Amino acid sequence: MERRDFLKVLGIASGGVAASWSSGFGQDKLVSRILPPPEGHVPGEPVQVHSVCTECPATCGLTVTVRDGLPVKLEGNPHHAVGGGTLCVRGQASLVRVYHPERVRRPLYREPGGELKPIGWDEALGRVRTELAAAAGAGRTNAFWGGRSTASLHRLIGETCAALGLERLPEFEIYHYGALRGAYGRLFGRRTVPAYHIDRADALLTVGADIVDTFLSPVEFARRVAPKLETGWPWFHAEPALSLTGARAARRLVIAAGSERFLLAWLLRTVPARQPLPADVSAAIPNVTHEEAASKTGVPIADLDALARALAAARHPLVVAGGVSTAHADGHAVALLAGLLQWSLGAIPELVDFSADHTFDAVGTLADAQKVVRRLKERRVGVLILSRLHGLELLDGALEALPDAAFSVGITDFLSPAFAGCRLILPVSHALESWGDAEPRRGRLGQIRPVFRPLHGTRSEGDMLLGLAGTSISYKDYLFKAWKPYPAAWWTQGYVERPVRAETIKLADGAAAALAAMGRAPELATPVLVVAPSLRTFDGRSRVIPLLHEIPDPLSTVTYGPWVNVPPGLARSMGLADGDELRLGGAALPVRVLPGLPDGVLLAAVDAAAGLGLKADPATGELLVCQSGVAVTKTGHRVPLPFLSGGMDATNRGIVPGDEVAHHHHEKHTLYEPHEHVDYRWAMAVDLDCCIGCSACVAACYMENNIPVAGPDEHLRGREMSWLRVQPYVRDGEAPVFIPVMCQHCDAAPCETVCPVYATYHNEEGLNVQVYNRCVGTRYCNNNCPYKARRFNWFEYDAPAPLDRLKNPDVSVRPKGVMEKCTFCIQRITRAKDKAKDDGRRKVRDGEIVPACAQTCPAGAITFGNILDETSRVYQLAHSGRAYRLLEMLGTEPAVYYLSKKVK
Amino acid sequence: MSLGTYFDQLEHDVLAAMRKPSKLYWTALAVSAAAFALGLGCWGWQIYEGLGVAGIRSPVGWGVYITDFVFWVGIAHSGTLISAVLFLFRAKFRCSFNRSAEAMTVIAVMTAGLFPLIHLGRCWFFYWLMPYPNQRHLWVNFRSPLIWDVFAVSTYFTISAVFFFVGLIPDLAIARRRFTGWRHWVFRILSLGWQGTAEQWKHYAWLYMFLAAFATPLVISVHSVVSWDFAMSVIPGWHTTIFAPYFVAGAIFSGTAMVITLVVPMRRILGLDNYITVDHFEAIAKILLFTSLIVSYSYIVEFVLAWYSGNPFEIAHFSFRAVGDYKYLYWLMLFCNGLLPLTLFVKRLRRNLKYLFVLSLFVNVGMWLERFVIIVTSLARDFDPYNWGNYAPRFVEIGVTIGSFGMFFMLFLIFTKMLPVLAIAEVKEHAS
Repeated sequence: MERRDFLKVLGIASGGVAASWSSGFGQDKLVSRILPPPEGHVPGEPVQVHSVCTECPATCGLTVTVRDGLPVKLEGNPHHAVGGGTLCVRGQASLVRVYHPERVRRPLYREPGGELKPIGWDEALGRVRTELAAAAGAGRTNAFWGGRSTASLHRLIGETCAALGLERLPEFEIYHYGALRGAYGRLFGRRTVPAYHIDRADALLTVGADIVDTFLSPVEFARRVAPKLETGWPWFHAEPALSLTGARAARRLVIAAGSERFLLAWLLRTVPARQPLPADVSAAIPNVTHEEAASKTGVPIADLDALARALAAARHPLVVAGGVSTAHADGHAVALLAGLLQWSLGAIPELVDFSADHTFDAVGTLADAQKVVRRLKERRVGVLILSRLHGLELLDGALEALPDAAFSVGITDFLSPAFAGCRLILPVSHALESWGDAEPRRGRLGQIRPVFRPLHGTRSEGDMLLGLAGTSISYKDYLFKAWKPYPAAWWTQGYVERPVRAETIKLADGAAAALAAMGRAPELATPVLVVAPSLRTFDGRSRVIPLLHEIPDPLSTVTYGPWVNVPPGLARSMGLADGDELRLGGAALPVRVLPGLPDGVLLAAVDAAAGLGLKADPATGELLVCQSGVAVTKTGHRVPLPFLSGGMDATNRGIVPGDEVAHHHHEKHTLYEPHEHVDYRWAMAVDLDCCIGCSACVAACYMENNIPVAGPDEHLRGREMSWLRVQPYVRDGEAPVFIPVMCQHCDAAPCETVCPVYATYHNEEGLNVQVYNRCVGTRYCNNNCPYKARRFNWFEYDAPAPLDRLKNPDVSVRPKGVMEKCTFCIQRITRAKDKAKDDGRRKVRDGEIVPACAQTCPAGAITFGNILDETSRVYQLAHSGRAYRLLEMLGTEPAVYYLSKKVK
Repeated sequence: MSLGTYFDQLEHDVLAAMRKPSKLYWTALAVSAAAFALGLGCWGWQIYEGLGVAGIRSPVGWGVYITDFVFWVGIAHSGTLISAVLFLFRAKFRCSFNRSAEAMTVIAVMTAGLFPLIHLGRCWFFYWLMPYPNQRHLWVNFRSPLIWDVFAVSTYFTISAVFFFVGLIPDLAIARRRFTGWRHWVFRILSLGWQGTAEQWKHYAWLYMFLAAFATPLVISVHSVVSWDFAMSVIPGWHTTIFAPYFVAGAIFSGTAMVITLVVPMRRILGLDNYITVDHFEAIAKILLFTSLIVSYSYIVEFVLAWYSGNPFEIAHFSFRAVGDYKYLYWLMLFCNGLLPLTLFVKRLRRNLKYLFVLSLFVNVGMWLERFVIIVTSLARDFDPYNWGNYAPRFVEIGVTIGSFGMFFMLFLIFTKMLPVLAIAEVKEHAS
């Protein structure tokens, strides 16, 4: 063979082999996962896709940042009315769910032996159809039992149930607002949760409704109240325990659990009515005297009077009851009286809006769920399809009853308690992998759109249902058909508001009878155990996300629970210290002493509820979260409980606002040349008057900066990795003040002078820069940092696959043995400067750079900018007279300014 | 006894210590070597896993490792003090201690020098702490006390080693004369052709005097610089001007105690009772007492300064030190370093070697605790209560600490068998 011929043959052969390999083999890794790649997309550049967060029922709008086919960061969708561009701690962390190593990856069938075996989709759906037919033949009812669904999915479930002859059971939510819905039903004939326009109120009383923690739509509430907090807005919050809402309200009224009805009845009788009540209704309102109101509730008379005055003086007063106050044995009375007070104060319909209500119509109460359990136990259910069920383990006997169905099918992403025993597991795609829509409130529609192809062999719930019904169209086609009439904004902004029909609300005829049926107020004996919804896991559904355990509960700073908060008085009398185990009924929980918690109240998050034996309220169907007179005994065991705060009393240390010591200055002498900042001196302002302590910034920082999750053992050794933390401080047993602390980027930084190798230095833009490559790990910088803002990489922190793919490519991953800390999101600064340069501008515009923490802050408490520019917002805030800096007397000249009314 | 016979007896007695080791010696060596191996193993494990296997944390970024570093640097002090300073002051009793004290210094600095490496997050880049020309123009930060440390400790080591070696030369020549076989050849090379001529003695005396004068300020500078690692920071409990003299006195105190710890058994085991007498020990005990008083005074001054400053952080910190979570360590330290040495005012106790030996052990413990208390309690309670946290050493740190003692004693034991443990030439000089 000639040499040339040989080369030709070789070329053809190898080309052919390469071509044949390129189809299929390794394609997943090489071809971008983006669906579909937008026009003009440059590989490596971030793409923003609008979607909706499905981590909780509030369904805030999302902007997903996609890099090379993988979502790397979630932010709020500024076009979406819920969230308005911000997210909460759960929303920020929810991206971990997509990459979670323990997600169910393919359909699983439980063999008679109990072993789960992977099967194909066709086989799985076929099996469901066979079982449906078999059960129907055996005379059993087939049923679909899901969590709350809205918009198209809600409709599709109805259609599928009709097509397959399934009974659609009332949807299951632990927090279903049954007391409120019941009360509104009886008072106004509208069994729903109205929208509360709190931003239109000029005086607000929230009774138990933890509006910035977990109530209905906390991000939206936080966003709406934040601008009013500086203005001296009269916002009273009455609560039996302690919540972020209570800590943030202008006046927190500690009210005895179960005594809320006296406060509300007294207000009904004291505050002049704007909409007159019918005589029979007025007569039915319990007669509560001034003294009685004070003695029953425990609220000082002066506070009661101030509250009544504020409500009477306001043009648009609003009262919102909810949360723990409607979830105890007197919850129905509280909800009724609050509804009546809304009516009497004239808040209906302007502030309490029934025409744009929250879509809870199909959601049942726990009483409905108990009926389902009863039917299961009677073995009347054939095939039971379960979907999106969270917190079912809190319902007495529910998990035990599930195997009584002839065949159970679980549509789920994790083998969480409700699904662990299912015969067939159908793995559901994450919202970021599927099409969909969400309508948290009537008329507010958000679009869920896939940002990448499913990581595993999962399908969306819609596709599964359509597949079960035997239709040939995909859920995407189904949705697109439904979306046809939507305006163009639906596609460009991912959110539209559809007009809603205004409703006339009238006091129903049965209102007086409903009031009369309230009965006597039950007495709750101390100590009362309050089981509140969890800021970090909501009803426990976010418990699978490790990051949410890593980020401390802002009140107690406990990270990995469960635990119970104990007031200092009780702790003293029982001789309890942090970590002592306490027996409460059927559970044993470690104690965290929580200053600011009223005496006689124990506070636990719902994550700790297992074994507490919570019951459902027969009157409202609510989970009874206030347990009266719990028997508490010290077991004598000590439990290693990780909490991050070394102390909450910072009196006179120059940290909390209004401290005298902060103004003590020595004359400043320095041997060093002053820093010269030419174009920029980056600075930050954190408004403590509107910071609610929600920790969304902390989660955003973790996600943006590839900060590792260290785990409980490391937390016990004091080695958390967070670059930003929310530090609570308590003075005189009051509710805490929250101070978010990150690297202060000091002008005279103590860390810089002590680093032997110049791994940390002051750059020309005023940033305190950490060079990971140069760091040898002496840890001298952190020793010398008065804020202890630096974090050391004690180990190589590896995330298990596929979680290791969740990395922001703009931020380097740090090896073991080096120091790291907040960079003011230097990657975002660089990007903004690059963009300014591309646009032909010499300098970045004010507000163009938004660090991850500031971006997600629902309260808008964080401002970032160039303090050399006197027109910048940060300059104005720093010179507003409200500003102080942490440990100012040390002369470190921090670049982070904290704003507070308390600064003189 | 004629001078000639006495010299012969002296050479024989001192060099007899270098003959075949006893079982006791082998056992001691084996134990020390095993401890050293344990330390190396722990360090290796720490390099492999990351510093997280140690107990250090935020806010206590320095713990037992830096305590050990300061402790060993402190131990290294008396060598130079006893040798150089007492030489300049013509204190004759020094000749019975100086060789072991110098060996102790060299070995202790070697041990101490390991700790800054051990405590580094990335110890394989330790050379970045040295200013060397490189392509990327990376330089060290001369504002950092850690860089001063690098220079202070390496200078001290170099001078101590040279001083030790120069002092050895005449004795090495004696050993060359008295040994046969391979040792003869080793000593022949090491003695650098020493003949003992008048010319050589003249040069030798000048050099020795010069080195002694050069080494003396180092006694002050090294530990001052080490103290500045702390004093130059902003941390309450560290940031104070008395640290330099306080640390120097503490170093001499602990170093003297370690000399007693080493020499009492050495004298017994090697049979040197005739050459290291009780009078010598009494002189050393007086130094111990004197430095103990300085250290105790510093303890008092620290508290008074904190109180007088009116600085809330200083006051809060020192009350934590006295009654906080580490109070037992603090009071034990005070007992060992402040109270117990006061007994040395009694002459009978000063001359009781058993008592001195036990006391020196207490002082060693007390001085280790002093460094631990200063380093750990100051870091554990600084400005912001949120960041507060306590530290306790974990197995790796304890293993490495044991290993450092193993290394120190192993090298010292090897020294006693390899080199003359008394300055023979000098003893002869004083005898004649």
